[in-house]
Amino acid sequence: MTDADTPPRMRSDLVKSVLARHGVVLFLAGLLLIGGLLQPSFLGAGNLNNMLLQLAPLLLVVVGQTFVILSRGLDLSVASVMATAAVFTTLFSADDSAVVKIITLALLVGMGVGLVNGLLVTKRSVSPFLATLATAIMLQGIRFALTSGAPSGNIPPFFKTIGTGRMAGVPISVVIAIVVAVVFGIILHKMAYGRRLLIVGGNPMAGRLVGINPDRTILWAYVISGGLAALAGLTLAGFAGVVDNNVGRGFELDSIVAAVIGGVALSGGRGTIAGALSGAAILVAVFNLVLLVGAPIQFQIIIKGTVIILAAAFYVRRTIH
Amino acid sequence: MTSLDPPHQTPPQTPRQNTRLKQAFGRNAPLLVVIVLIIAMVIAGALMTDRFLTLRNFTNIVEQSTGLGLVSLGQTFAVLTAGIDLSVGSVMSLASTLASGLIDKDVAQAAWVIPMVLLLCALIGATNGLLIHQLGIHPLIVTLGTGTVLQGLTLLYALSPVGGMPRALEFVAYETVLGVPIGAAIMMLLFLAAAVFLGHTRAGRDIYAFGDDAEAARLVGINRARVLLTVYGFSGLMAGIAGVYLAIRFGVGQPYLGVNYTLSSITPVVVGGTMLSGGRGGVLGTLLGVFLVGVLNNLLNFLQVSTHFQLVAQGAIIIAAVSIYVDTRRSRT
Repeated sequence: MTDADTPPRMRSDLVKSVLARHGVVLFLAGLLLIGGLLQPSFLGAGNLNNMLLQLAPLLLVVVGQTFVILSRGLDLSVASVMATAAVFTTLFSADDSAVVKIITLALLVGMGVGLVNGLLVTKRSVSPFLATLATAIMLQGIRFALTSGAPSGNIPPFFKTIGTGRMAGVPISVVIAIVVAVVFGIILHKMAYGRRLLIVGGNPMAGRLVGINPDRTILWAYVISGGLAALAGLTLAGFAGVVDNNVGRGFELDSIVAAVIGGVALSGGRGTIAGALSGAAILVAVFNLVLLVGAPIQFQIIIKGTVIILAAAFYVRRTIH
Repeated sequence: MTSLDPPHQTPPQTPRQNTRLKQAFGRNAPLLVVIVLIIAMVIAGALMTDRFLTLRNFTNIVEQSTGLGLVSLGQTFAVLTAGIDLSVGSVMSLASTLASGLIDKDVAQAAWVIPMVLLLCALIGATNGLLIHQLGIHPLIVTLGTGTVLQGLTLLYALSPVGGMPRALEFVAYETVLGVPIGAAIMMLLFLAAAVFLGHTRAGRDIYAFGDDAEAARLVGINRARVLLTVYGFSGLMAGIAGVYLAIRFGVGQPYLGVNYTLSSITPVVVGGTMLSGGRGGVLGTLLGVFLVGVLNNLLNFLQVSTHFQLVAQGAIIIAAVSIYVDTRRSRT
């Protein structure tokens, strides 16, 4: 949309285009600045570290969710996949001997769920909302049955290190999230698959006309989302240190909200990884600020709901003009 | 996205004698599928245990289905317009908590509190409709946002069950007429009224037309704002009634009452053949869908499988239903 009218006619056009593309990053910077002024401890090393640790699993999920939304879909199964991956960490052994097995199994299940979602959406034309809702419910039931209600057992130390440890001062989970974001940012914005995804999501008919196989493109988006959700579940299990059957509850909606705040259009085909990540960071920063300012926790929920509507309204306005 | 597809009312078929029959069957296929499934489950249940095919168990199933039925009825309206209402769970929580807290077991209070709470819920729903109309945002995002805000407000009012509903109202949940609890009878009457409204009034047909093709509806002069306000207002009202009903049944309102109902309310709608892409389906299918879920859960209880498998079964039903009723008109909402 902005690409079409950016020939350097006027300065104001340039400013507008910068705002349109990077407005969310600027908003994040502004939020951090204002937060720091309101409550100096907000930008203290301890609190920043805390926020980054909370942010890491959400970042992983948001990257996958963004791929799915770009394909005109939605993935409501990510929370269920996260919980399943988290439960896997406790199923085998309390030491690190089964780590490889756990990671492989979690990723396979995550990608398998993504594959089922993708097949339902592409081959059976099921709406993404229902397809992913149904797989989420089924997976939840299987998980509950598998663990007879409450998982027991300990998380191997390896995952605790991943969830809370540091590497050169930076939390390891954050490093993982950043690496994943960069890799998938490159896939989306620099590689052929990303271009196909943006075309198919933006205009499926056009995609077909230029010889893109839309089904395969969409399918991969769901597989990626499932795999990254599994990774996020493993990270979150390590961060929390304990696992129950509802690890990751709320991440399905939070990840959609983060992507929408970051300017990823629910109508598909438009959005960036950087925007979605900024959206996730805004979400975490707002929550953190509400608590730091000393407001009751209910205000977190109320502000979250308001931000969802405001952000969506902000982007709708801009596409109309 | 939609302009390339032919309108579904005029399938380009070669005229044959049984075409009309086929069309009638095609339209009602979801209803038949659900009825057959319910019958199959009833037979299975009857073969399994003597206690299944009893009036007592029938009453039980109907009673368990009432709350879900009420919410799903409102949800059907939203889905018919190609929308969705994700705020219903929070509206239920709000209604039950507020009613229970304000009434505090005093029947005299109930006389004005309940109408006021229901009015509030209808207004909340209408606000959803207004936001969707004014802001032009997808209903999913709007109602997710308002639902989140409402859950926060409910928790601000009470963090745990508060007050209580008067004993004098319990007859609504537990008294039965011909084996049907009064609450369930009211629910079914509401379904009937909604079916008449949708099928036989101008405003009802406008809802279908709008859901089928919003642009065409605009061109023939259907008032978009009125449709959205009606539909989401009704959905809010139904969620409110469900919340108050459950508060009466449990004796007290709970701030997390509706959490599981938001997504559950969609299952009977889609199982009953209403397409998420809008314009097709109806409330009768939803009612059957509600009973299907009710009978299934009841059956699984008798089987004494863990309640966790109820979730698996529910997921399987959704997948089966939506895979059978493939929407040939449009795909991917």
